[in-house]
Amino acid sequence: MLQKPRNRGRSSGHAESVRDSSQGGDARAPRDCVAEEAPSTSRGPGGSQGPRGSSPQGARRSLAAPAVGPRTQKQLELKVSELVQFLLIKDQKKIPIKRADILKHVVGDYKDIFSDLLTLAAERLQYVFGYKLVELEPKSNTYILINTLEPVEEDAEVRGDQGTPTTGLLMIVLGLIFMKGNTIKETEVWDFLRRLGVYPTKKHLVFGDPKKLITEDFVRQRYLEYRRIPHTDPVDYEFQWGPRTNLETSKMKVLRFVAKVHNQDPKDWPAQYCEALADEENRARPQPSGPAPSS
Amino acid sequence: MQGSARRMGVMTDVHRRFLQLLMTHGVLEERDVKRMQKHCYKVHDRNATVDKLEDFINNINSVLESLYIEIKRGVTEDDGRPIYALVNLATTSVSKMATDFAENELDLFRKALELIIDSESGFASSTNILNLVDQLKGKKMKKKEAEQVLQKFVQNKWLIEKEGEFTLHGRAILEMEQYIRETYPDAVKICNICHSLLIQGQSCETCGIRMHLPCVAKYFRLNAEPRCPHCNDYWPHEIPEVFDPEKEREPGISKSNRKSLRSRRH
Repeated sequence: MLQKPRNRGRSSGHAESVRDSSQGGDARAPRDCVAEEAPSTSRGPGGSQGPRGSSPQGARRSLAAPAVGPRTQKQLELKVSELVQFLLIKDQKKIPIKRADILKHVVGDYKDIFSDLLTLAAERLQYVFGYKLVELEPKSNTYILINTLEPVEEDAEVRGDQGTPTTGLLMIVLGLIFMKGNTIKETEVWDFLRRLGVYPTKKHLVFGDPKKLITEDFVRQRYLEYRRIPHTDPVDYEFQWGPRTNLETSKMKVLRFVAKVHNQDPKDWPAQYCEALADEENRARPQPSGPAPSS
Repeated sequence: MQGSARRMGVMTDVHRRFLQLLMTHGVLEERDVKRMQKHCYKVHDRNATVDKLEDFINNINSVLESLYIEIKRGVTEDDGRPIYALVNLATTSVSKMATDFAENELDLFRKALELIIDSESGFASSTNILNLVDQLKGKKMKKKEAEQVLQKFVQNKWLIEKEGEFTLHGRAILEMEQYIRETYPDAVKICNICHSLLIQGQSCETCGIRMHLPCVAKYFRLNAEPRCPHCNDYWPHEIPEVFDPEKEREPGISKSNRKSLRSRRH
């Protein structure tokens, strides 16, 4: 199902020729099945809209006013809407969203205002849904959503579960890594997990394939870093916290989790406690703002 | 001017948590929605009075308006239970599914959808769907695999299975009604009472008009001699009971009329 060509040869006001010629048709081409199934012009601005005054200072309070040229307010809103939904759906999989994918699947020929769109989408995500759009690492051009609402135990029952039991395993591994000085060998991880009845080679009732979960899924989701230790024989790997972990939780939170498991107090581990405190102080310092892409 | 007359509501963490949870579920029955609403109030605003659900949702929808999505209320076709889902108003949609399923899986869904729409009963048999696996776009799929994909659709609430036959889940109807009406304008069936998309229902044997089961229940309630609203002929089917949320049980058709139950799906 092809997209109806939007804005082609449409004189929705002044100077659209600048945009048309610079964008051409190519930006539209790479859209894949997402767009194929979602021709966003079905009820959209397509043919029925007509040239509307492109005054960005429209009646709509909900959008700030990027100076955009000939696109109508409604077209912009639709584009922001697509972007918001794309980010929400992609983030459900917990896989960081690449800027290139955003450009390819959603932004298309609006790429001249990419960072404005992203800012608007981020604002909506925060205000409407309570998610903060953040870049995984500075200049990485990948993004994740952080939930600004605290997880609450009862959510799980109201949610009827699709929630992840694997989070428990992740927390254990994160705890292990931190307590061992922020780096741990894979062999040590399995030594520990074996005591809990979790084995790299055996299917687990709750976690399925623990080896795949820890060495592949959590790594892909950027919760863990997994690196080969050179010159080891047999080959060994080491684990560290991944960038998502630092964004979603903190050393103090993980220390508290470990303490709780042992029925002790975080201060019972003075070295780790100091480290966690220093980390908290760092976080309290004002951060560079916004998700706006770093280029 | 779209909705500019409507004052835009205000989002608080109560509303945000509600939205997040609704999105996780995909679709929820009304009583669960109410429970969820109370839960969200409890977490964020213990002392506030819980808004009436309709007002609560209207408030959220006025904020969602600029994003061209809304929380939509529908009714299950088989027994009239109210359900809620977050649906897309602007883009048509197999798009929400598109991120969860591969190209060949989406195509399988499309094929099943077409069979369902074309069928008289609103159901497509597993066999008929599976016979189409060779025609799927994308990676080649075996029938065994296709069976599992169909089960995935059921688990994710896009399809319902009854005795080896598949029909659309209320969620799919809520989300895709517009898409379906636009894509299959000649094949779609519409309910004579509520004018919405109809997949399962009863039909008049004389003039062919159709009605949803819950619409039949409401229309003929307390009517001893049900007659077709269009041609006035005697309505030949058993009239189901209206769903009563107080009683919270499925509206029944008395057992002695099981035979005419089969004739519903002719």
